[in-house]
Amino acid sequence: MTTVFTVLLILTSLLLILLVLLHKGRGGGLSDMFGGGVSSGLGGSSVAERNLDRITVGAGVIWFACIIALGLLLKSGS
Amino acid sequence: MKKEDQVLGAFANAFRTPDLRRKLLFVLLIIVIFRLGSQIPTPGVHVANVQTCFRQLENDGLYGLINLFSGGALLQLTIFALGIMPYITASIILQLLVVVIPRLETLKKEGQAGQTKITQYTRYLTLALAILQATGISALARNRTLLQGCDQPLLHNEDSLMTMLIMVITMTAGTAVIMWLGELITDRGIGNGMSILIFTQVVATFPASLWAVKTSQDSWWIFGTVIVIGLVLVAAVIFIEQAQRRIPVQYARRMVGRRMFGGSSTYIPLKVNQAGIIPVIFASSLLYLPALAAQFDQSGTSPVTNFIATYLVGGSHPLYMAIYFGLIIFFTYFYVSITFNPAEVADNMKKYGGFIPGIRAGKPTEEYLSYVLSRITLPGALYLGLISLVPLIAFALINANQNFPFGGTSILIMVGVALDTVKQIESQLQQRNYEGFLR
Repeated sequence: MTTVFTVLLILTSLLLILLVLLHKGRGGGLSDMFGGGVSSGLGGSSVAERNLDRITVGAGVIWFACIIALGLLLKSGS
Repeated sequence: MKKEDQVLGAFANAFRTPDLRRKLLFVLLIIVIFRLGSQIPTPGVHVANVQTCFRQLENDGLYGLINLFSGGALLQLTIFALGIMPYITASIILQLLVVVIPRLETLKKEGQAGQTKITQYTRYLTLALAILQATGISALARNRTLLQGCDQPLLHNEDSLMTMLIMVITMTAGTAVIMWLGELITDRGIGNGMSILIFTQVVATFPASLWAVKTSQDSWWIFGTVIVIGLVLVAAVIFIEQAQRRIPVQYARRMVGRRMFGGSSTYIPLKVNQAGIIPVIFASSLLYLPALAAQFDQSGTSPVTNFIATYLVGGSHPLYMAIYFGLIIFFTYFYVSITFNPAEVADNMKKYGGFIPGIRAGKPTEEYLSYVLSRITLPGALYLGLISLVPLIAFALINANQNFPFGGTSILIMVGVALDTVKQIESQLQQRNYEGFLR
């Protein structure tokens, strides 16, 4: 049981990192304050970006669930 | 409109505006997720042991500083243990590199497309740093040296490489998630995502460390004094944050078609503290690096570690204060020179027929602006440095420990971010009705 969750956790972690990097870094963070000016473009996000959001949230939820499941398993195991 | 209580009325207005309400609730949701993640331990960590060790060390100076930025997440080895530190470090590194590497400089000058590319580099660098730090911290936890002076196994299965691997990957993914959360706030919420997340972490440790003052000193008098001094400091910080010099600008009247434009007189506001809280965040996160690096030395006997432990940790040593002060002043000038470009402003004014009374347009205006700016930045920089030092000195005198809750850094971050965010909310509010928080 632990192995299944471990493998799943590693996979979702990698997926999550990949997905976040795919996002179009919307000038967030400190670099935005650095003379970026008004960098966020007008209009909403594109369809692709919105789907990416959904997939990221999905991956995040699975990732979270895996961590909690692993935590509980390890706690009862020791 | 009937007269309401001023502050609460503004809050009610903020929540009555549907657009603003959605944004505020969104930010709250993200903060909740962020705090939740900061409490969930990474798989493989022996929670009970970590908690016992953590309690023993809670009031130690070094750990206080580390905890300030991670909101207690780092030492408890949670999934968001690394927090926003990798992102901040990556931004600092990239900003410094822009000055050094010509390729990056041309990218920056390209405008928005180039800026996006730099942001993308920052993100990659963040993840690289996250992997590095996660590996370091997991290795420390494995050797039981993360929480020094506490010899209980911090992990369930210390020998297995698999546990290490899982921890590193989980923490790195956690950092990626934090980065995304921050960007979401910037994008769809209010205020700057990263600074709001820092704010959350600082505020999260606040009640606990305030109470620590009471328990360690065991006197209501000192507790009261601390709170009063804190309030005075907050007032002083707000006073200076709001201070600005207004350079008058006259616009010439001109006709475009049949319409009349301009002819108005406005001003360019130059804040005394143009740089905001960024210099403080930069200086303290730079000073935090050696403390972190010192932890990797397990024996703790090498001269370098000794040097760091005596001079660069905790903030009670004069040398530490001097370096801190110097760094803040440097970063204030650095940041102001990046954000406010007198040549550009002078050029824009010339284009639209504006001039400062008594000064010719073009080159003289530019010189005048940069003269005023560098003059006004000096008190701003001194103020930032002093505010972050005053508590250190004052409380070395009454012998409170250094991770005092009203420490300059945390107070500047709290007030600065809060003011910024409130101003943004207010500007949104003013699109609908004119009553705001500040007047």
